[in-house]
Amino acid sequence: MKDPLIAIAAGIAILSAGASSIGEGYLCGKAIEGMSRNPEMYGKLRSSMIIGCALVETCGIYSLLISILLLFVF
Amino acid sequence: MPYSSESFKSFNPTGEIILALLIIGVLMILAIVVGILAKKADPTKKPRGLLLLVEWCVEKLDATVHETMGPGFENFGGLLLAIIPFLFLSFTIGITGLPTPMSNIAVPLTLALITFVLIHVTSIRYTRWRYFKRFIDPIPVFLPVNLISMWAPLISMTLRMFGNAIVGWVLISLLNSLLGNISSAIFSFAPAGLNSVFITPIVTPVFHAYFDLFSGFIQTMVFVFLTMLFIAQERPEDVETEVALATRKENHV
Repeated sequence: MKDPLIAIAAGIAILSAGASSIGEGYLCGKAIEGMSRNPEMYGKLRSSMIIGCALVETCGIYSLLISILLLFVF
Repeated sequence: MPYSSESFKSFNPTGEIILALLIIGVLMILAIVVGILAKKADPTKKPRGLLLLVEWCVEKLDATVHETMGPGFENFGGLLLAIIPFLFLSFTIGITGLPTPMSNIAVPLTLALITFVLIHVTSIRYTRWRYFKRFIDPIPVFLPVNLISMWAPLISMTLRMFGNAIVGWVLISLLNSLLGNISSAIFSFAPAGLNSVFITPIVTPVFHAYFDLFSGFIQTMVFVFLTMLFIAQERPEDVETEVALATRKENHV
């Protein structure tokens, strides 16, 4: 049987996904603000917003990888 | 273990690698077919069918490359047209229930390695011997820091694709086992082994559509844009380099 502390550690490791989702929401909000200010920039802002979202999401994915490794390796 | 014929015989690829090779084979056949079609096509007539689709893709891609990377990368669309279908197919093949090739870390690592090598090749192409200056930028004390941070794009791109694929796989398999348990609890009158299949096919398609199609599309786009941006930033900003001049001259003549 596994050490139950590992499950708690995995749960703590995934907490950083919350922070990254806050950042993602802030990014999207700001991008939409910019889009509504000048709609002709819509295409450019959308593509850079998606890239920014992916970059921010990487942090969450790292934390998820760490928690998966904690669950499956130990 | 030394290299020998034995080590080739014991080559034992996993399902992901076989699927990746299969996708590459299908795309190669498709590329050859398109090449033959393009050679046979009459340039005075309108393209039809597959050729029309491919021409539209090439046009869009060239416009995007020109818009994102600026001058000096006119032939860059070819690489992207080779990478995009492979990436998209290998993400979306998970919708059939087969393992995504991206969930074996060798595949995303290879794709990220292409970008990584291209970044440095482009840097050498534009700056020649000044390339080595990037390791002691801004002062020589930063050499160890630069030597470590040089690998950051490789690792982050690999782990982004690998992480996304593995996240989808883990969530969908967790969901499958949960729905199987719920189903066998509700339909406990059905024979064992059969009672766990009633709820799963109704609920999982939505998640497959999100994690395979949508996430695959986004990751393909992100990888392509990051490749273009990383490579384009290796070009010196306002210095009119010899290579850019040469390519411009070629295009005008």
